[in-house]
Amino acid sequence: MDPTIKDFEAAIAELETIVKKLEEGDLALEKSLELYERGVQLSRFCHSRLEAAERRIEIVNERGELKPAPASLNLPDDEDE
Amino acid sequence: MSRLPFDDEPTKVPKVPKVPEVTRVTKPATPATVVTPVTVVTPVTPVTRPVLTVSELNATIRDLLENQLHTVWIEGELSGCRIWNTGHMYFNLKDSSSQVKGVMFRSAIRYLKFKPEDGLKVVARGKISVYDPKGEYQIICEHMEPKGLGSLQQAFEQLKKKLAAEGLFDPARKRPLPALPRRIGLVTSIDGAALRDMIRVLRRRYPNAHLVISATRVQGEGAGREVAHAIRKVARIEAVDVIIVARGGGSLEDLWAFNEEVLARAIADSPVPVISGVGHETDFTIADFVADLRAPTPSAAAELVVRRKDEFFAHIDRITERLDAAIHHRLRRMETRLHSLEARPGYAGYEGRLAVRGRHVSELASALRQRMTAGVARRGRRHEILRRSLDQFDPRHRLAAVRTRLVSRNAQLEAALRRRLTVAQNRLGGLAARIDGLSPLAVLGRGYSVTWDASRTRIIRDAATLTTGDRISVILEHGAIDATVDAVRQVAEKANTEP
Repeated sequence: MDPTIKDFEAAIAELETIVKKLEEGDLALEKSLELYERGVQLSRFCHSRLEAAERRIEIVNERGELKPAPASLNLPDDEDE
Repeated sequence: MSRLPFDDEPTKVPKVPKVPEVTRVTKPATPATVVTPVTVVTPVTPVTRPVLTVSELNATIRDLLENQLHTVWIEGELSGCRIWNTGHMYFNLKDSSSQVKGVMFRSAIRYLKFKPEDGLKVVARGKISVYDPKGEYQIICEHMEPKGLGSLQQAFEQLKKKLAAEGLFDPARKRPLPALPRRIGLVTSIDGAALRDMIRVLRRRYPNAHLVISATRVQGEGAGREVAHAIRKVARIEAVDVIIVARGGGSLEDLWAFNEEVLARAIADSPVPVISGVGHETDFTIADFVADLRAPTPSAAAELVVRRKDEFFAHIDRITERLDAAIHHRLRRMETRLHSLEARPGYAGYEGRLAVRGRHVSELASALRQRMTAGVARRGRRHEILRRSLDQFDPRHRLAAVRTRLVSRNAQLEAALRRRLTVAQNRLGGLAARIDGLSPLAVLGRGYSVTWDASRTRIIRDAATLTTGDRISVILEHGAIDATVDAVRQVAEKANTEP
């Protein structure tokens, strides 16, 4: 994804910093808008990261390789979400 | 005197059979020798001699034993162990040369953490009880533990002390868990309930989590080493950001792998945080002490490893809302400042003369407007791409519900952005209208100043139009300065300096 964003945690942290800066005020309008845009970008990144993780179950074998887990472990979802 | 004993004999004889009968119960081998001298020396005793019935004797013995041996600890080997239909257990405790009967009532058996079996060495706590009808005694056992436990417990304490001394349990060593692990490593038995419990919880909280199982035996000889190996194996898998080591409940012996040093070291050396989820009623295992986080059960560990997906969303939405509010507030402040400048009487007459600067500000405003429009369009396109890639990404359509929500959320976001843009544009439009006369004054707020001649009829744009000694007037955001020119430098610089 966006090369300027390291990972989910970094994105959340940066977003929080931006919000704090904007809330403190005292920034030139240009800078404010720049930060705002970056904030929107970060928020979007977080949303997509939350949706994008792969729904998968795998098993490590003796050689350290990943293999699909037996189907019996793909349990049905609990429906209370 | 020599006759006296003889005289006595007739009265003594009938009683003789009775004496041995009483004494036989306690000391069957010696009654005659003990009793006879007494009768000879004290002929008066036949009348006061304490004669007990069998029942009385047994009752006396019971009183003695039950009071004297109220609580005893006995160590021995179980034999003849049997649980009757009543739920009570009858058994013998024996050692190499002796044995004693015992009973354990149903109410006490409930609390046993192991299964009593013949041949098992145990330590039992109980009291002695006499069964009068048969003249037998037995132990009523209240508590029993396998004899091995003592040494296990000791090993546990020793290892705990040693690792604590090395600092392996220090709170400072505990690493924070990643907020959103890319992959979650699960170290446990492949066919245990623990694994199923964890998968179920994780699916519920975070349906698209990526799980990597590292299967291992979790009990029996050498299990500690195998669990340690499984941890190292899964820790090497790329993007595994956190590991859960788990096992369902069991006795101290069952959980022993989690008290082994080799496992403790593997947890301490793991490059990513480890959560322990070993189900057991009472005490911690060594693994619990070393782990970065301890959960009481496998399910609880799964709940700790990742927040609920909707909590994540709520968190981000809250921050984003503050982001919106902050920029909104910033724009409002700008507007307010313009209003207050507009209201200053000192500047009211000069609107027309500021046209040149006004144009400059208009340009800024329109650049700003373009920028925002482009930004929204770009975001719109990004949405579209994201949405399409999500469609491709999920061929099985298992995330249909989630996707629908995302789409509607995107729509909401777009609508919100458009609304925000419209508001901003309207505001800017209004500002632009005033800006023709006034906008440069907004510039003053950013640290610029305007220099007039002394009569305030001409703006000084070029130093060359002044000479030393001229009076000038400098307008700042707050107030103005009347000044005299000390020197004129002919460098063709713009009059303003950036704040």
